[in-house]
Amino acid sequence: MSNPVAFPADLSTLSDAELRKLENRIARKHSGMVPWGIVSWAFANLLVWLSLWPLVIIGLVPLWLGFALATINIALVYLPTHDAQHYIIGKPGAKLHWLNELVGHATSWMMVYPFSVLRVTHLDHHRHTNDPERDVDITSHAGTAWQAIWGTIRQRQPDGKRSGDYLRCLERHGRRDLILLAIGYRLGFYAILIALAWSGFALEAFFLWWLPYQIAITYILFFLSWAPHSPGMGRGRYRDTKNWRSKVGNLLSMGMQYHVVHHLHPYIPLMRTPAAYREMRPILAARGVKLEL
Amino acid sequence: MQVILKAVLWALPLIFGLGFLAPVIAQGLEAAGIEAPLGLAPLTLGLLIGGAWGAFATLKGRWL
Repeated sequence: MSNPVAFPADLSTLSDAELRKLENRIARKHSGMVPWGIVSWAFANLLVWLSLWPLVIIGLVPLWLGFALATINIALVYLPTHDAQHYIIGKPGAKLHWLNELVGHATSWMMVYPFSVLRVTHLDHHRHTNDPERDVDITSHAGTAWQAIWGTIRQRQPDGKRSGDYLRCLERHGRRDLILLAIGYRLGFYAILIALAWSGFALEAFFLWWLPYQIAITYILFFLSWAPHSPGMGRGRYRDTKNWRSKVGNLLSMGMQYHVVHHLHPYIPLMRTPAAYREMRPILAARGVKLEL
Repeated sequence: MQVILKAVLWALPLIFGLGFLAPVIAQGLEAAGIEAPLGLAPLTLGLLIGGAWGAFATLKGRWL
């Protein structure tokens, strides 16, 4: 670990450009490395989830335990694909770009989304955070935690606005091919569930994929989308994301207490955002970012 | 093609109700050792509940 970036005690004497320069120096210090932790996490998580199916079907793992593990697996699947969406494991042209894309594609299907769809829509969320018209995650906004939880469940109903926001985002980017791919994934998911159910594995399909998926999506949207961006957050680089204190701790909130660092510097690996935040904190305070830690 | 796809997507909740929820209900009843009322077969009850719920979701746009 290199030494902390030095800066004056009184940051009010620094210009906007000088503050930005310091912030970028800290960000660069915490980026550029291959996040092997998240790569291992991606494949270990995938292997555990895949192995649950035969283990539950042959009776070595009881269904209730399989359900609990599958819920954890699917809740954990988004973060590796999220790092891959931002090319953190390997940028285009880099030696490990193939690994970046492999992590993204190998994990995102568990959430019934093509990796390319997640990337296009998520990068658009970064461009238009909290924009009522263009932020694909705007439907996660809610006044209270319970409203947020109910809201995400409501948005997954057939008339939910969220799916439409995703499709409109893909259309804005001229990616009608991805719209068809996303529909194909959804229909494929249903076809697999139905095939399993009519082959005598309905409960396995329900408790190892469908229900864990519903719980995990609610959990992921709560911590990744609602908590850092809502309620009362505005728009703009230092106004759309907050640092917040999670009642369940940083681990159980998937590191999202430091999500503000990710929005400012999305090339920093997830596992380095807490350290980057601690070093960057005085600058963020000087910028007027909402900070609770 | 687009018309067929739109029709399938519109009817997806009903397809889900009959195709997935019905066997889930039937196999859930069997696993729990619960008999379906009125002498119905578990799958018949599953199809009735799954079909009705799926039809509701298709027409109303929501499951809950």
